[in-house]
Amino acid sequence: MDLNKVKELVAEQLGVEIADLKPETSLKNDLSADSLDLFQIIMSLEEEFGIEIPTEDTENINTIGDIEAYLEKRKA
Amino acid sequence: MKSLICEMLGIEYPIFQGAMAWIANASLAAAVSEAGGLGIIAGGTAPMELIRGEVRKAKEITSKPIGVNIMLLSPHADEMAKMVCEEGIKVVTTGAGTPGKYMEMWKANDIKVIPVVPSVAIAKRMVRSGADAVIAEGTEAGGHVGELTTMVLVPQIVDAVEVPVIAAGGIGDGRGMAAALMLGADAIQVGTRFLTAYECTIHDNYKKKVLNAKDIDTVVTGRRTGHPVRVIKNKLSRGFQELDLNIAPPGEYEKLGAGALARAVLEGDMEYGSIMAGQIAAIINKEESCKDIIMDLMTEANKLLNRDWN
Repeated sequence: MDLNKVKELVAEQLGVEIADLKPETSLKNDLSADSLDLFQIIMSLEEEFGIEIPTEDTENINTIGDIEAYLEKRKA
Repeated sequence: MKSLICEMLGIEYPIFQGAMAWIANASLAAAVSEAGGLGIIAGGTAPMELIRGEVRKAKEITSKPIGVNIMLLSPHADEMAKMVCEEGIKVVTTGAGTPGKYMEMWKANDIKVIPVVPSVAIAKRMVRSGADAVIAEGTEAGGHVGELTTMVLVPQIVDAVEVPVIAAGGIGDGRGMAAALMLGADAIQVGTRFLTAYECTIHDNYKKKVLNAKDIDTVVTGRRTGHPVRVIKNKLSRGFQELDLNIAPPGEYEKLGAGALARAVLEGDMEYGSIMAGQIAAIINKEESCKDIIMDLMTEANKLLNRDWN
Protein backbone atom coordinates (compact mmCIF):
# COMPACT_ATOMS: atom_id res chain seq x y z
CA MET A 1 0.00 0.00 0.00
CA ASP A 2 1.55 3.26 -1.15
CA LEU A 3 0.48 6.00 1.21
CA ASN A 4 1.90 8.68 -1.08
CA LYS A 5 -1.13 7.97 -3.19
CA VAL A 6 -3.33 9.47 -0.47
CA LYS A 7 -1.94 12.96 -0.94
CA GLU A 8 -2.03 12.54 -4.68
CA LEU A 9 -5.74 11.66 -4.62
CA VAL A 10 -6.64 14.47 -2.23
CA ALA A 11 -4.61 17.01 -4.18
CA GLU A 12 -6.25 15.98 -7.41
CA GLN A 13 -9.80 16.02 -6.05
CA LEU A 14 -9.50 19.37 -4.30
CA GLY A 15 -7.13 21.09 -6.72
CA VAL A 16 -4.39 21.79 -4.20
CA GLU A 17 -0.60 21.23 -4.20
CA ILE A 18 0.73 17.96 -2.78
CA ALA A 19 3.48 19.96 -1.05
CA ASP A 20 0.86 21.82 1.00
CA LEU A 21 -0.62 18.63 2.45
CA LYS A 22 0.65 17.93 5.94
CA PRO A 23 -0.54 15.14 8.25
CA GLU A 24 -2.48 17.70 10.29
CA THR A 25 -4.13 19.34 7.27
CA SER A 26 -7.91 19.19 7.75
CA LEU A 27 -9.86 18.44 4.59
CA LYS A 28 -12.85 20.47 5.71
CA ASN A 29 -11.29 23.36 7.62
CA ASP A 30 -8.06 23.91 5.70
CA LEU A 31 -9.06 22.77 2.23
CA SER A 32 -12.77 23.75 2.28
CA ALA A 33 -13.90 20.29 1.23
CA ASP A 34 -17.67 19.81 1.44
CA SER A 35 -19.44 16.52 2.10
CA LEU A 36 -19.60 15.80 -1.64
CA ASP A 37 -15.82 16.21 -1.96
CA LEU A 38 -15.27 13.99 1.07
CA PHE A 39 -17.34 11.15 -0.38
CA GLN A 40 -15.59 11.55 -3.71
CA ILE A 41 -12.24 11.18 -1.93
CA ILE A 42 -13.47 8.15 0.02
CA MET A 43 -14.63 6.55 -3.23
CA SER A 44 -11.24 7.19 -4.87
CA LEU A 45 -9.46 5.70 -1.86
CA GLU A 46 -11.66 2.62 -2.07
CA GLU A 47 -10.83 2.19 -5.73
CA GLU A 48 -7.13 2.87 -5.28
CA PHE A 49 -6.63 0.56 -2.32
CA GLY A 50 -9.22 -2.06 -3.22
CA ILE A 51 -11.12 -1.81 0.08
CA GLU A 52 -14.61 -0.84 1.18
CA ILE A 53 -14.76 1.97 3.72
CA PRO A 54 -18.02 1.85 5.72
CA THR A 55 -19.69 5.22 6.22
CA GLU A 56 -19.41 4.91 10.01
CA ASP A 57 -15.63 4.86 9.61
CA THR A 58 -15.60 8.04 7.56
CA GLU A 59 -17.00 10.05 10.45
CA ASN A 60 -13.63 9.99 12.21
CA ILE A 61 -11.61 10.96 9.19
CA ASN A 62 -10.76 14.65 9.25
CA THR A 63 -7.12 15.08 8.31
CA ILE A 64 -4.59 13.63 5.89
CA GLY A 65 -3.02 11.89 8.89
CA ASP A 66 -6.38 10.34 9.78
CA ILE A 67 -6.68 8.85 6.30
CA GLU A 68 -3.15 7.42 6.45
CA ALA A 69 -3.67 6.00 9.93
CA TYR A 70 -6.98 4.47 8.88
CA LEU A 71 -5.45 2.81 5.84
CA GLU A 72 -2.52 1.52 7.92
CA LYS A 73 -5.00 0.00 10.35
CA ARG A 74 -7.01 -1.61 7.57
CA LYS A 75 -3.81 -3.03 6.08
CA ALA A 76 -2.81 -4.60 9.40
CA MET B 1 -46.10 4.99 -19.22
CA LYS B 2 -45.18 2.07 -17.00
CA SER B 3 -42.60 2.68 -14.34
CA LEU B 4 -40.51 0.31 -12.22
CA ILE B 5 -41.06 2.61 -9.27
CA CYS B 6 -44.84 2.31 -9.60
CA GLU B 7 -44.58 -1.46 -9.47
CA MET B 8 -42.06 -1.43 -6.63
CA LEU B 9 -44.20 0.83 -4.46
CA GLY B 10 -47.69 -0.05 -5.63
CA ILE B 11 -48.55 3.48 -6.75
CA GLU B 12 -50.40 4.58 -9.85
CA TYR B 13 -48.32 7.48 -11.16
CA PRO B 14 -44.52 7.92 -11.01
CA ILE B 15 -44.76 11.16 -9.07
CA PHE B 16 -43.37 11.70 -5.57
CA GLN B 17 -44.29 14.74 -3.54
CA GLY B 18 -41.11 16.26 -2.15
CA ALA B 19 -40.61 16.00 1.59
CA MET B 20 -40.62 19.63 2.66
CA ALA B 21 -40.00 20.07 6.37
CA TRP B 22 -42.87 21.75 8.28
CA ILE B 23 -44.90 21.67 5.05
CA ALA B 24 -45.33 18.06 3.94
CA ASN B 25 -47.81 16.97 6.63
CA ALA B 26 -50.68 14.49 6.69
CA SER B 27 -52.98 16.78 4.72
CA LEU B 28 -50.63 17.21 1.76
CA ALA B 29 -49.11 13.72 1.70
CA ALA B 30 -52.44 11.93 1.99
CA ALA B 31 -53.94 14.04 -0.81
CA VAL B 32 -51.04 13.20 -3.13
CA SER B 33 -51.19 9.50 -2.32
CA GLU B 34 -54.96 9.42 -2.68
CA ALA B 35 -54.54 10.99 -6.14
CA GLY B 36 -52.21 8.16 -7.17
CA GLY B 37 -48.77 9.65 -6.52
CA LEU B 38 -46.55 9.04 -3.53
CA GLY B 39 -47.21 11.45 -0.69
CA ILE B 40 -44.29 11.81 1.68
CA ILE B 41 -44.50 13.15 5.22
CA ALA B 42 -41.42 15.16 6.12
CA GLY B 43 -39.77 14.38 9.43
CA GLY B 44 -37.45 17.37 9.38
CA THR B 45 -36.18 18.05 12.88
CA ALA B 46 -39.62 17.64 14.46
CA PRO B 47 -40.14 15.46 17.55
CA MET B 48 -40.92 11.86 16.65
CA GLU B 49 -44.39 11.69 18.27
CA LEU B 50 -45.53 14.68 16.23
CA ILE B 51 -44.61 12.89 13.01
CA ARG B 52 -46.16 9.65 14.22
CA GLY B 53 -49.38 11.62 14.67
CA GLU B 54 -49.14 12.90 11.08
CA VAL B 55 -48.59 9.36 9.80
CA ARG B 56 -51.70 8.12 11.60
CA LYS B 57 -53.76 11.09 10.39
CA ALA B 58 -52.66 10.44 6.80
CA LYS B 59 -53.65 6.81 7.07
CA GLU B 60 -57.13 7.84 8.11
CA ILE B 61 -57.45 9.89 4.93
CA THR B 62 -56.04 7.32 2.50
CA SER B 63 -55.33 3.62 2.42
CA LYS B 64 -52.77 4.05 -0.39
CA PRO B 65 -49.01 3.92 0.25
CA ILE B 66 -47.50 6.87 2.10
CA GLY B 67 -43.81 7.60 2.53
CA VAL B 68 -41.89 9.24 5.34
CA ASN B 69 -38.73 11.29 4.88
CA ILE B 70 -36.14 11.05 7.61
CA MET B 71 -33.65 13.85 7.89
CA LEU B 72 -30.61 11.97 9.15
CA LEU B 73 -29.05 14.99 10.86
CA SER B 74 -32.15 15.36 13.03
CA PRO B 75 -31.61 14.65 16.74
CA HIS B 76 -34.72 12.44 16.48
CA ALA B 77 -33.50 10.33 13.54
CA ASP B 78 -33.06 7.15 15.62
CA GLU B 79 -36.59 7.28 17.07
CA MET B 80 -37.99 8.20 13.68
CA ALA B 81 -36.28 5.20 12.09
CA LYS B 82 -38.01 2.89 14.57
CA MET B 83 -41.35 4.68 14.32
CA VAL B 84 -41.69 4.00 10.57
CA CYS B 85 -41.32 0.29 11.29
CA GLU B 86 -43.91 0.41 14.06
CA GLU B 87 -46.40 2.28 11.90
CA GLY B 88 -46.09 -0.08 8.96
CA ILE B 89 -44.66 2.50 6.55
CA LYS B 90 -43.32 0.81 3.41
CA VAL B 91 -41.32 3.64 1.79
CA VAL B 92 -38.71 5.80 3.44
CA THR B 93 -36.76 8.55 1.73
CA THR B 94 -33.73 9.99 3.49
CA GLY B 95 -31.80 13.24 3.35
CA ALA B 96 -28.65 14.80 4.79
CA GLY B 97 -26.53 11.73 5.37
CA THR B 98 -26.24 8.01 4.82
CA PRO B 99 -28.90 5.70 6.29
CA GLY B 100 -26.57 2.68 6.47
CA LYS B 101 -27.08 1.98 10.15
CA TYR B 102 -30.88 1.66 9.78
CA MET B 103 -30.78 -0.40 6.62
CA GLU B 104 -30.98 -3.82 8.26
CA MET B 105 -33.95 -2.88 10.44
CA TRP B 106 -35.81 -1.32 7.53
CA LYS B 107 -35.18 -4.25 5.22
CA ALA B 108 -36.42 -6.62 7.90
CA ASN B 109 -39.64 -4.58 7.95
CA ASP B 110 -39.99 -4.73 4.18
CA ILE B 111 -39.40 -1.00 3.79
CA LYS B 112 -38.10 0.38 0.49
CA VAL B 113 -35.29 2.84 1.14
CA ILE B 114 -34.81 5.74 -1.24
CA PRO B 115 -32.11 8.30 -0.36
CA VAL B 116 -31.87 11.75 -1.90
CA VAL B 117 -28.43 12.08 -3.53
CA PRO B 118 -26.55 15.09 -4.89
CA SER B 119 -23.63 13.33 -6.64
CA VAL B 120 -22.61 10.14 -8.46
CA ALA B 121 -20.22 9.01 -5.70
CA ILE B 122 -22.89 9.29 -3.02
CA ALA B 123 -25.48 7.56 -5.24
CA LYS B 124 -23.13 4.60 -5.72
CA ARG B 125 -22.45 4.40 -2.00
CA MET B 126 -26.14 4.40 -1.15
CA VAL B 127 -26.85 1.63 -3.60
CA ARG B 128 -23.97 -0.39 -2.22
CA SER B 129 -25.43 -0.12 1.26
CA GLY B 130 -28.82 -1.34 0.02
CA ALA B 131 -30.86 1.56 -1.38
CA ASP B 132 -33.78 0.35 -3.53
CA ALA B 133 -33.77 3.50 -5.67
CA VAL B 134 -32.28 6.98 -5.44
CA ILE B 135 -33.67 10.48 -5.83
CA ALA B 136 -31.24 12.55 -7.90
CA GLU B 137 -31.93 16.11 -6.82
CA GLY B 138 -30.51 19.03 -8.73
CA THR B 139 -29.74 22.46 -7.36
CA GLU B 140 -32.91 23.92 -8.94
CA ALA B 141 -34.81 22.45 -6.00
CA GLY B 142 -35.96 24.44 -3.00
CA GLY B 143 -34.57 23.95 0.49
CA HIS B 144 -31.28 22.11 1.03
CA VAL B 145 -29.52 21.68 -2.29
CA GLY B 146 -26.36 20.41 -3.93
CA GLU B 147 -24.35 22.06 -6.67
CA LEU B 148 -25.20 20.10 -9.83
CA THR B 149 -28.25 20.76 -11.97
CA THR B 150 -30.93 18.16 -12.59
CA MET B 151 -30.07 18.19 -16.29
CA VAL B 152 -26.51 16.96 -15.69
CA LEU B 153 -27.00 14.96 -12.51
CA VAL B 154 -29.81 12.65 -13.59
CA PRO B 155 -28.20 11.01 -16.65
CA GLN B 156 -24.92 10.51 -14.81
CA ILE B 157 -26.60 8.80 -11.87
CA VAL B 158 -28.76 6.74 -14.24
CA ASP B 159 -25.54 5.49 -15.84
CA ALA B 160 -23.81 4.85 -12.51
CA VAL B 161 -26.39 2.76 -10.65
CA GLU B 162 -28.55 -0.27 -11.44
CA VAL B 163 -31.57 0.85 -9.40
CA PRO B 164 -34.38 3.15 -10.58
CA VAL B 165 -33.69 6.88 -10.38
CA ILE B 166 -36.23 9.52 -9.40
CA ALA B 167 -35.42 12.97 -10.80
CA ALA B 168 -35.99 16.01 -8.59
CA GLY B 169 -35.28 19.71 -8.77
CA GLY B 170 -36.86 22.11 -11.22
CA ILE B 171 -39.72 19.87 -12.31
CA GLY B 172 -43.04 21.68 -12.13
CA ASP B 173 -45.06 20.65 -15.16
CA GLY B 174 -45.47 17.93 -17.77
CA ARG B 175 -42.65 19.33 -19.89
CA GLY B 176 -40.22 18.99 -17.00
CA MET B 177 -41.55 15.53 -16.27
CA ALA B 178 -41.12 14.38 -19.87
CA ALA B 179 -37.61 15.83 -19.93
CA ALA B 180 -36.67 14.01 -16.74
CA LEU B 181 -37.92 10.71 -18.13
CA MET B 182 -35.92 11.39 -21.32
CA LEU B 183 -32.83 11.79 -19.16
CA GLY B 184 -33.37 8.25 -17.93
CA ALA B 185 -35.33 8.84 -14.76
CA ASP B 186 -38.04 6.34 -13.88
CA ALA B 187 -40.11 8.77 -11.84
CA ILE B 188 -40.06 12.38 -10.68
CA GLN B 189 -40.28 14.19 -7.37
CA VAL B 190 -42.12 17.50 -7.24
CA GLY B 191 -42.04 19.86 -4.29
CA THR B 192 -42.62 23.49 -5.18
CA ARG B 193 -45.68 22.90 -7.39
CA PHE B 194 -47.45 21.32 -4.41
CA LEU B 195 -46.87 24.40 -2.24
CA THR B 196 -49.92 26.06 -3.74
CA ALA B 197 -52.13 22.96 -3.62
CA TYR B 198 -55.42 23.41 -1.74
CA GLU B 199 -54.41 20.59 0.57
CA CYS B 200 -51.10 22.24 1.44
CA THR B 201 -51.63 23.94 4.79
CA ILE B 202 -48.88 26.58 4.69
CA HIS B 203 -49.72 30.21 5.45
CA ASP B 204 -51.49 32.13 2.66
CA ASN B 205 -48.64 34.65 2.55
CA TYR B 206 -46.27 31.81 1.63
CA LYS B 207 -48.58 30.65 -1.17
CA LYS B 208 -48.85 34.20 -2.50
CA LYS B 209 -45.05 34.50 -2.55
CA VAL B 210 -44.80 31.34 -4.63
CA LEU B 211 -47.59 32.45 -6.98
CA ASN B 212 -45.89 35.81 -7.52
CA ALA B 213 -42.32 34.51 -7.81
CA LYS B 214 -40.43 35.29 -11.00
CA ASP B 215 -37.60 33.34 -12.63
CA ILE B 216 -34.80 35.13 -10.77
CA ASP B 217 -36.47 35.34 -7.37
CA THR B 218 -34.74 32.49 -5.56
CA VAL B 219 -31.23 32.48 -4.17
CA VAL B 220 -29.02 29.96 -2.38
CA THR B 221 -27.83 31.07 1.03
CA GLY B 222 -25.38 29.40 3.36
CA ARG B 223 -22.98 27.89 0.81
CA ARG B 224 -20.12 29.35 2.82
CA THR B 225 -21.02 27.41 5.96
CA GLY B 226 -21.74 24.18 4.11
CA HIS B 227 -25.54 24.34 4.48
CA PRO B 228 -26.77 25.66 1.16
CA VAL B 229 -30.51 26.36 1.12
CA ARG B 230 -32.59 27.74 -1.75
CA VAL B 231 -35.19 30.30 -0.71
CA ILE B 232 -37.22 33.13 -2.18
CA LYS B 233 -35.27 36.35 -1.65
CA ASN B 234 -36.25 38.49 1.32
CA LYS B 235 -34.71 40.28 4.30
CA LEU B 236 -33.59 36.96 5.77
CA SER B 237 -31.73 35.88 2.64
CA ARG B 238 -30.10 39.30 2.40
CA GLY B 239 -29.08 38.93 6.04
CA PHE B 240 -27.34 35.67 5.21
CA GLN B 241 -25.59 37.32 2.28
CA GLU B 242 -24.34 40.05 4.58
CA LEU B 243 -22.95 37.45 6.96
CA ASP B 244 -21.13 35.92 3.97
CA LEU B 245 -19.58 39.30 3.14
CA ASN B 246 -18.52 39.83 6.74
CA ILE B 247 -17.10 36.31 6.97
CA ALA B 248 -19.21 35.86 10.10
CA PRO B 249 -18.75 32.82 12.38
CA PRO B 250 -21.19 29.89 11.96
CA GLY B 251 -22.99 30.84 15.20
CA GLU B 252 -24.26 34.04 13.56
CA TYR B 253 -25.88 32.05 10.78
CA GLU B 254 -27.58 29.76 13.27
CA LYS B 255 -28.90 32.73 15.21
CA LEU B 256 -30.37 34.34 12.10
CA GLY B 257 -31.77 31.07 10.76
CA ALA B 258 -33.22 29.58 13.95
CA GLY B 259 -36.92 28.88 13.56
CA ALA B 260 -37.03 30.78 10.26
CA LEU B 261 -38.83 28.06 8.28
CA ALA B 262 -41.55 27.72 10.89
CA ARG B 263 -41.92 31.52 10.90
CA ALA B 264 -42.65 31.45 7.18
CA VAL B 265 -44.84 28.34 7.12
CA LEU B 266 -46.94 28.90 10.25
CA GLU B 267 -46.88 32.65 10.85
CA GLY B 268 -46.53 33.83 7.28
CA ASP B 269 -43.54 36.02 8.11
CA MET B 270 -42.31 36.91 4.63
CA GLU B 271 -39.57 39.25 5.82
CA TYR B 272 -37.55 37.13 8.20
CA GLY B 273 -39.09 33.73 7.52
CA SER B 274 -37.32 31.19 5.33
CA ILE B 275 -39.45 30.88 2.19
CA MET B 276 -38.05 27.69 0.75
CA ALA B 277 -38.99 27.16 -2.90
CA GLY B 278 -37.39 25.91 -6.07
CA GLN B 279 -36.45 27.89 -9.16
CA ILE B 280 -39.54 26.55 -10.95
CA ALA B 281 -41.77 28.58 -8.60
CA ALA B 282 -42.10 31.14 -11.38
CA ILE B 283 -44.25 28.89 -13.59
CA ILE B 284 -46.76 28.25 -10.83
CA ASN B 285 -49.65 30.66 -11.15
CA LYS B 286 -52.70 29.10 -9.55
CA GLU B 287 -53.97 27.15 -6.60
CA GLU B 288 -55.41 23.73 -7.38
CA SER B 289 -55.95 20.30 -5.89
CA CYS B 290 -53.19 17.69 -5.66
CA LYS B 291 -55.24 15.52 -7.98
CA ASP B 292 -55.40 18.25 -10.62
CA ILE B 293 -51.65 18.82 -10.33
CA ILE B 294 -50.88 15.14 -10.81
CA MET B 295 -53.30 14.76 -13.71
CA ASP B 296 -51.91 17.88 -15.37
CA LEU B 297 -48.33 16.52 -15.08
CA MET B 298 -49.33 13.12 -16.43
CA THR B 299 -51.47 14.41 -19.29
CA GLU B 300 -48.88 16.88 -20.53
CA ALA B 301 -45.96 14.48 -20.17
CA ASN B 302 -47.82 11.68 -21.94
CA LYS B 303 -48.75 13.99 -24.79
CA LEU B 304 -45.13 15.07 -25.23
CA LEU B 305 -43.65 11.61 -24.93
CA ASN B 306 -46.08 10.15 -27.44
CA ARG B 307 -45.71 12.98 -29.88
CA ASP B 308 -44.42 12.13 -33.35
CA TRP B 309 -41.10 13.95 -33.20
CA ASN B 310 -40.52 13.55 -36.96
